[in-house]
This record gives sequence, structure tokens and C-alpha cells, in this order.
Amino acid sequence: MAIAVQTQELPTLKKVRDLPKEEYYLPGHRTCAGCGPALQYKLVAKAAGPNTIFVGPTGCMYVANSSYLCTPYAVPWIHAQITNGGAVASGIEAAYQVLIRKGKWQGELPNVIVMAGDGGAVDIGLQAMSAMMYRGHDALFICYDNEAYANTGIQTSPTTPYGANTTFTPPGEMIPEGKKTFPKDPPQLVIGGHPAVKYVATASIAYPVDLMNKVRKGLNVKGPTFLHIHTPCPKGWKFPEDKTVEIAKLAVQTGMFILYEWENGEYKYQHTPKEYKPVGEYMKLMGRFTHLKPEHIQKMQAFVDARLKAPGMPVEIPIPPPRAEA
Amino acid sequence: MAKEMMLSGCAAAAQAVKLAKVEVICSYPIRPYTAVMMELARMVANGELDAEFIHGEGEHAQLSVVYGASACGARTFTGSAGVGVTYAFEVYSPISGARLPVQMMIADRALDPPGDFGSEHTDAMSCRDQGWLMGWAETPQEAFDNHLINYRVGEDPRIMLPQYVCQDGYFVSHISGKVVLPEQSQVDEFLPPLRMEHRLDPKKPISHGPQIRPDQGDVMDLARAMAFLEVPKVIREVIDDYGRIFGRTYPPFVEEYMLDDADMAIFIQGAHALTCRHAIKRLRSQGVKIGMLKLRFVRPWPTEDVAAALSKVKAVGVVETSTSYGGAMRGGNLIHEVRASLYDLPKRPLVTSFMAGLGGEVVKIEDFEYMARHLAKAIQEGRVCKNVHWIGLEAEG
Amino acid sequence: MFVIPKEKEVPFAGCTPAPVKDQRMMITGNWRTYRPVINHEECNLCLNCVMYCPDACWQLSEDEERVVWNNEFCKGCLICVNECTSEALSKAHELDFEGGVIRLDKPF
Repeated sequence: MAIAVQTQELPTLKKVRDLPKEEYYLPGHRTCAGCGPALQYKLVAKAAGPNTIFVGPTGCMYVANSSYLCTPYAVPWIHAQITNGGAVASGIEAAYQVLIRKGKWQGELPNVIVMAGDGGAVDIGLQAMSAMMYRGHDALFICYDNEAYANTGIQTSPTTPYGANTTFTPPGEMIPEGKKTFPKDPPQLVIGGHPAVKYVATASIAYPVDLMNKVRKGLNVKGPTFLHIHTPCPKGWKFPEDKTVEIAKLAVQTGMFILYEWENGEYKYQHTPKEYKPVGEYMKLMGRFTHLKPEHIQKMQAFVDARLKAPGMPVEIPIPPPRAEA
Repeated sequence: MAKEMMLSGCAAAAQAVKLAKVEVICSYPIRPYTAVMMELARMVANGELDAEFIHGEGEHAQLSVVYGASACGARTFTGSAGVGVTYAFEVYSPISGARLPVQMMIADRALDPPGDFGSEHTDAMSCRDQGWLMGWAETPQEAFDNHLINYRVGEDPRIMLPQYVCQDGYFVSHISGKVVLPEQSQVDEFLPPLRMEHRLDPKKPISHGPQIRPDQGDVMDLARAMAFLEVPKVIREVIDDYGRIFGRTYPPFVEEYMLDDADMAIFIQGAHALTCRHAIKRLRSQGVKIGMLKLRFVRPWPTEDVAAALSKVKAVGVVETSTSYGGAMRGGNLIHEVRASLYDLPKRPLVTSFMAGLGGEVVKIEDFEYMARHLAKAIQEGRVCKNVHWIGLEAEG
Repeated sequence: MFVIPKEKEVPFAGCTPAPVKDQRMMITGNWRTYRPVINHEECNLCLNCVMYCPDACWQLSEDEERVVWNNEFCKGCLICVNECTSEALSKAHELDFEGGVIRLDKPF
């Protein structure tokens, strides 16, 4: 007699005081002081609650969090390869479906959350992520985006912005801007191509209540869901560690990062600035951009402008390619 | 009532997986193992087997999916062949080190380049250092039995290791043989449900696989090495139990065939052992004192059993259906482990090897007769003329 | 047959029990050169410090009257000081505090 699999409904948070007090990402991890991804992890874990299993593909949120033989996770967590976060999560979700169905485990289907960096989500981990989205597993895939392969010492990844100085895109006489290519857009990779996906959202550590509500929405919606979280990295982006949240806010205020939800074909926007600040204000705060000349900043501004249709209608679908020159 | 059917190796494996009540299966198509997954898909679709059947996006994903599922305490099954086996390579050590008793069927296939769908053992043999159990079946019946035996051994709390259950592509995977299928109740008695203490459970949270200090690496490795020291004992216990419950048994590690009064032996694993038996019988009828030693487990390698059996003969011909380019003997890889097994014997037999069956070639009775001639010559001259012979390609013929 | 020194031991399959309140094996209070200092009278309980601390080192007290700082784990990143919406939080040099610097018996 097969037992029906039940899932939880996590309530929306209306204000800061609604934030649950329990922590499931505890103090005591080896992440850098001011680490954006660590902050995101804390908020995600808080939003998800105790009936959760995290999958941790290799990256800062694996290595820094688990050195050595100790982790800050109060809920079950398993290491995955950087290549296979989506696949491991699929296996966990499937196991719990069959274990609950056969009466071998009692309870609501645990939240299965992949905590992948930008590399583990849309570069080396892209195949596994897409397959999880396609197969319809009831799990949440989070891409915490610090715009580089940070754990290996800051190398470029497909979400590294144009013009960023990384150890694989150093500026020099032959390549004055450092990084020549414009980044992939993770949520757009998922939207539209995966029929089983009903909810995709972007979030930022600058807006924690919004972030936590999107996590809960992603967990409540049946089937695979995707969250792209902007998480500034003081070490990689080269800014003082107390500015992490400030920089995250500026990213939203300049249009470098856009907060939205996509649900069943409809877009909804959050924290849309009435007027966008120039990208230069954001870029000048970070050492990874100090080598850029005005023409490079203009190119970046043009890219951001092309993505923004007009105030109030921030995202042009599909995202147009960057213009050849400013 | 036990049921007798004519089944290919793939179909036999599917029957074993069904009787083992596997809970999570991850598929991906590649010749020549695909049929086992097609069979299992059919069983899941018509309700014969209650399992999650996941369409992996590739072999690497297959192993990753069962890694996650096994970590939750579900009994898992996957499989592959050829370059699929090597594509998944990254995940083998994580599974073994995480002590997850995943089972992978390998219907072996020659590795690219170029495309060759024929059988060859190199794909699986390339993985033998990853900390999994590994062994070949000669017939669909043995394949069926090996799947059940490996689940029981791998899931034993003293062991907790994954298993490669191998069979020759086409020669076993596609050619039907008689398979006696037991009752579900017999399998239930033999194979209890998987119990895993270190599983992912929100009611008992653990962190599975945190980073270790560099000075702890050797300790992690030693833990697996020590588990492998326990495996032979558990295999013997399980084979005994298998015989008791199913009325069918195997020598746990090596099968001696007409070896007792033999001067020379063919050392072999997998499908071609079937032809070898016939060749041995024919050669015996011609007065050649030859026997066969068939290997059932490559990992753990049965060092003492191999030494004890081969110490009876004066010359050994190792049949190599895999390659080890640049290896010590410049041929295959079985010869290295055979020689290592024999090293401590006070009187060692001569050892040579024969590259045979590569790329899916049939190994003919005449080939075994060729081997016997060379072994006889070696005994006569007191030395082997060379360490590696490539059957059918040697200049002297 | 084998003797494994206690400090090198690794649990089965590298699986460790989950921490419950904090991770004692990674005390990070000794990282900081500055620490945040709070003037509770100025604090408006906006809870920015609680929300924005990556190390969960600010928590609302049981009676919800004030925010409490975690001396053992605070890395001194000072995000809280930067995001404070009142004049309550400021930074001070760690060495200015008696018994301020967290010392560990041994590394890790």
C-alpha cells in the first residue's frame, strides 16, 4: 500500500520581526570575514528550517565551511562534486520519494537544496543542473553567485562580469579590459527551456526578507525551482569586508543585478530603483575594476542599459546581446 | 518453486535487481548494457518493481544520482559500458570513500578510439583501484547470482563498499543461457533490507564528507584498505549462505577446473572461460595435462587462493582481455597481479600471458591450443619465450 | 595491526555529527582585529545586525529587549557597524579589551 508523499508549506515572512530565531547555519565556519555566500547560506538555512538536506558541491561553501572535519550545518548535509550537484540532489529526492512511499521513513518530504556556486551551477555543473530541472525533481537549486571560482583563488567563471580582473583574466597590454566576454545569465538559462520548472527567482543578500521569502516560495512550489542569489565576495572583488551588503545593494541600484520572480510565465520585480545609478558608482568601489578605462565602463553601462527596457519594466526578454561598442 | 528461464546476461541482471527490491535506479543508454535498463524500465512501468527510475543525463550523472540516493539509505543500481564507465570515473572514489554500497553493472566494452562495440575488460579494469569490489561472470546464471551476492557483501555493516558486477559484453550480456530464478521469499531471506547508520536523515543530522586535514588523508585511505581485508571473509560467509538458501554455490574466489594433476594452467576470467573449459577437455583427451583457474573476483584479489592453486603447475598462461600499455609486462594487467601472488612461493611456476578477445574478438578453441603449445614449450625449455603473446598476430604463428 | 594517533582519527566514511548550537572546532573569535561595540540606548532594534551577520553573531535576546553579541565567533568583519541604522554600533580595536582576544589551546 503506497503511502502518499506530503510536502511542507512554509509561511511567507512579512517583516523583519517575523524572521525565525533558530539558526541552521551556525557560527563556526572558516569563510572569510564578511563573506557574502556565508550570509546567504545563513538566510537560506533559516528560511528552510530543520526538515532540510543540503547538497554541497565543491566550492567555497564546501571547503571553507567544512575545514576541517567540522561544519556549521545543523541539518543533514552531503558533499557533492562540483560537476554533479543537480544529480546528487536528484538521487536524494528520489530516495526519499521511494522511502516515504514504502513506509520506511515517516514525515514530510525533506527540503532538498543544492547550494552551488556559479561554476557548479552554470559552468562545470550546468549539465547536472539542467537535468534536475528537466526531470522534475521536487528540489531547489540555488546558485550563489560570487562571480568567480573563488575557492581556488579567484578565477573567471561564466558569471564573471565583463572587465573584471581575475587570475585567469588579468589585464595587460594585449588585453586592457582583463575579461573580454559578457556573463551568462543563470536564471534565463533555466526559464523557458525546462517545462517542469514553475518558479525561478533572483535574490540578493542586501534584501534578506525578500531572499528568505523566495527560498520558501521555491521550496513550496512543487517540482524543481531555481534561485540565483547575488553574493559579493570581499576577497575576489577586492573591497573591504564591511562593505559586502553595501555593494550588494548598489548592484541592485545600478541595474547590475535585477531582482525578479518568474512564475508560470509571468515576471514580477522587486526593489526596482526609481532611477538607476550609473554603473561606475558600483564598479569604482571594487579593486577588480580599477584597471578599466572610461570606454570599458561605458561598454558595461551599455550592456546594463540594454537589459533594462525602462524604469518599471526592468527586464527585456529575451536579454539582447551586448552592443558592439558603447 | 524455482523457475527456469533462458535469459541473456542483461535480462538475468534485471531479474536480480527486481528480486533485490532495488529502490533507486539511474539509467543512461550505451551498448551493450542498455538492455538491463530497458528491462527494468518495463518492470517499473507495469508495477513489477516499485522503484524510482531516473533518466540520468550521462554516466557521470548516473553515478552521482545513486551516490545521493544511497546516502539516504536506499538500495541503488546503475550500470554502464566502455567509455561510459570511464566518463563516470570522477565519482567512483567519492562513492567508495563515502562507504555507500552502490551496485554498478558493467557489461564491458572496448574503450575508444575508435568506436568498437565489442567486449573488452579494459573499461572496468581501469577502475580497479577505486575501492570497489569487482568480478566477472562467465554465464547469465553466474551474473544473476553475482548481483545478489554482491549486494549482500557490499551492504554488510562490516564492509559497506560499492561493487562493480561485470559481465562480458555480448558474450554474456546478449547471449541467452539457462538461469534458475529463485522465489522472492528466498531472496528476502538472503538479502535483508539495507541498514545504514551514516545516512542523511533530518531526524538525525550528520555532515557527510567534510574537508579533512592533509595529515588525515592516510587514515581515510587506511580505513578502506582495512575494510578490504575483511571482505574475503564476508564473501566466504555469503557464498556459504547462498548455497544453503538457493542450493547453488560457487567457489568464492577461484574455480579450479581439472587442475589437480595438471602441468600447466590457463588463468582466465569472464565469458571466454566457457570456451576454455571445452578446450581443456579436448586437450586432456589428447593427453595434455592442462587445467584452468577461473577468477571470480578481481577486487579483492584472492592472493592466497591464486598462489595455492597455481603452485600445483609448472607453467601458467594468463588470458588477458584488457590492456595495460607500458605496464611491467607490456601486455595486460592480470599478469602483474598473478606474478605478485606467486612471488613468495618457494617454487614458482613459469608465467606468460596471451592477449586474447580484445575488441570483442572470439577466443577460439584453437587459440587455447596455441596457448597450451607455448606452455608446453616453456616447461620443456625451463623458461617462457616471452611474457606477452598477441593471439593471431604473432609472427611465428 | 595499526595504531592511529588520536589527533589523526577520522570518523567512519568521513561523516561527522551535525553541530547543535555552534561549531566548537572552528572558533573564529581570534580572527578579529576590530570588534563591534554596541550602545544599547541608541539601538532602535532594526535587527540589521542580526540579519546581516554572516556568522550569526548578533541575536535578539530572549526577552526581545536587546541584541546580544557572540564574542567567541565574531570575525570582526564590521558589516553590522556599516549597516547599523542608528548610532548604536561602532568599532573598537580588539586589543583595547581586557581578555578580549580569544586564544585557542591549539590550532584546529
